[in-house]
Amino acid sequence: MRLLIVEDDLEASRAMVTGLSEHSHACVTAADGLAGLEAARADQFDVMIVDRMMPRMDGLTMVETLRRDGDRTPVLFLSALGEINDRVAGLNAGGDDYLVKPYALAELLARVEALARRREMGSVQTVLKVGDLEMDLIAREVRRAGVEIDLQPREFQLLEFLMRHGGQSVTRTMLLEKVWDYHFDPQTNVIDVHISRLRSKIDKGFDRAMLQTVRGAGYRLEA
Amino acid sequence: MGLPRVFRTTPFRLTLLFLALFAAAAAAFLAYVYIATAGEVTLRAEARVTREMSVLEGIQRSGGIVALNQAVIERSSGDRPMVYLLMKPNGETISGSIGKSPIEKFSGERRWTTFTLTNPGPDGAMVRQPARGLQETLPDGHRLFVGADVGELEFYVSKILRALWGAGALMILLGLAGGLMVSRDVSRNTAALTHVIDRARGGDLHVRARVRGSGDEYDELAIGLNDMLDRLERSVGGLRHAGDAIAHDLRSPLTRLRARLEAAAIDAEAGRTDAKAALHQALEDADGVLRTFAAVLAIARLEAAGDAPSQTVFDPADLAASIAELYEPLCEDKGLDFEIQASPDLRLKGNREFIAQALANILDNAVKYTPSGGAIMLRVRRRSSGDVEISVTDTGPGIPPDDRTRVLDRFVRLENSRNEPGAGLGLSLVAAVARAHGGRLDLDEGPGTVDGGGPGLRVALVLPSAS
Repeated sequence: MRLLIVEDDLEASRAMVTGLSEHSHACVTAADGLAGLEAARADQFDVMIVDRMMPRMDGLTMVETLRRDGDRTPVLFLSALGEINDRVAGLNAGGDDYLVKPYALAELLARVEALARRREMGSVQTVLKVGDLEMDLIAREVRRAGVEIDLQPREFQLLEFLMRHGGQSVTRTMLLEKVWDYHFDPQTNVIDVHISRLRSKIDKGFDRAMLQTVRGAGYRLEA
Repeated sequence: MGLPRVFRTTPFRLTLLFLALFAAAAAAFLAYVYIATAGEVTLRAEARVTREMSVLEGIQRSGGIVALNQAVIERSSGDRPMVYLLMKPNGETISGSIGKSPIEKFSGERRWTTFTLTNPGPDGAMVRQPARGLQETLPDGHRLFVGADVGELEFYVSKILRALWGAGALMILLGLAGGLMVSRDVSRNTAALTHVIDRARGGDLHVRARVRGSGDEYDELAIGLNDMLDRLERSVGGLRHAGDAIAHDLRSPLTRLRARLEAAAIDAEAGRTDAKAALHQALEDADGVLRTFAAVLAIARLEAAGDAPSQTVFDPADLAASIAELYEPLCEDKGLDFEIQASPDLRLKGNREFIAQALANILDNAVKYTPSGGAIMLRVRRRSSGDVEISVTDTGPGIPPDDRTRVLDRFVRLENSRNEPGAGLGLSLVAAVARAHGGRLDLDEGPGTVDGGGPGLRVALVLPSAS
């Protein structure tokens, strides 16, 4: 993937490039909003990672300007401001996701890949497929190798999110945010329990487990 | 400005303005009285002259010129306040009290004139007085002049003037004195308030204005100022406290992290441990610090903000059901009986996210400390006081009554919980959320000893209802 990193903290920018290059993403960096705007206009990117507070032009203005120009590249905002109002401001400016500093590299990576994937798939899908697992979003049915699996509504949502990001790592925080719409980290392993229930439903009786635990990151649904 | 402060106050300026207005009004009044009095006095003099003239004409008609001459001589020598002059048809004087008519060119027509009369005043000196006179041609051609002084006019006007001057002087004196007094009173009162504002601006937020209890506008101002200072002090204090708390709360985990890294570096150099393992351990420690930081920041922000931001009105039963749905599988996995009881149709106003997090923290604790085979009950109900109570009751070891307030302090973890993970910030965040919503956090005994378990714990988030 081609990523544009707009961040005025050069140390943080370098760490991001190191971590993301490790997963074979090509990174271009810009040190402020104006430079970021120029870079974004000069080239095509799969995802832009934009810091909110920067000299010359802040991240919100930069993204708003790009959106006015018709640029629909997914944007992940990075910010030290983590209140709900700040998130809403970021999303209103045209951001697609919001990550509060400090963050783990695994979290950043998972979110960037999720954003890129969302763009690839578009939104008008009625059937999701990962390996031999099939989800019909209209009939609200799930089958693995043709066998119907009975899921609770929340399990269905959880699996839908995992399938939309099939093959990618998703973090516990992402799941709590996107599936339950809560923006805090519980102290206990509440998400793990939901995952293990889902796992017992979709992997039980099959010789290959699809729902994998990724150490230090979260989970991944493998085809 | 060179003027003393007391002369620059608003009340003093108002006093001067009102004095000027009064002076203008007095002048207008005087002018009116003068014109009205002058008109009146002149009319009276003319009436006297007209009456006297007709009397003399009557004498001339009945007794002829001789009788008239006689009457004029009599009147002129008497002590009458009027002047008379009888003239021949050619204007030559026959008799009278003045030597010559004030009307020099007489056409023969009846004619009024204003002239000056010189009379001896009450003290013997001669005074000149304005007078009105009438000259007529009698039927036989003789001319007759009758005049009367209007000297009373001067008398009236000077009396009124004297009264006005006296009143004016008194008024100006009293007005100035009153103005000065009011002005000094205002200065003194505002000076006290200004002093308080100056001190507060200088950074002393403990200073308060004195409220005298008179209930006047200065008291209102002082009360308002004090209220503002109270809020400012609380808010600044909250910020300062938040800063101190963050520094305090993060210092120990960071110190621990640093010590561990140092030990790992020494061990790795000596070849005793693998550097990779030490790095992973350090990462985990750093994550722990970040979690603590997030919790501390959330508490600090809540405490500094006073009121929770982004408040909405919502049904607490919905929230409880959603959080219950999140925790129910966890309870089941741990072998805990989980039940939810929620009264419908309740309304809460608050930050849904914060209250959800508070509830999640309470449930986290309940799940963590309740041994397998126990039970957890989540309940939403309206208290008889009208407040909404969201409570979590468990059958765990409970908290001894003496420790119940202490666990709400940051980082306090009771002895028997040392081996459980967690930074110990859970309940203090819940308490901060409760305070930010004008509510409170109650800790009570649970349902009592159940199946060999502890007495249990009941944690109740009591929040004011929005309906």
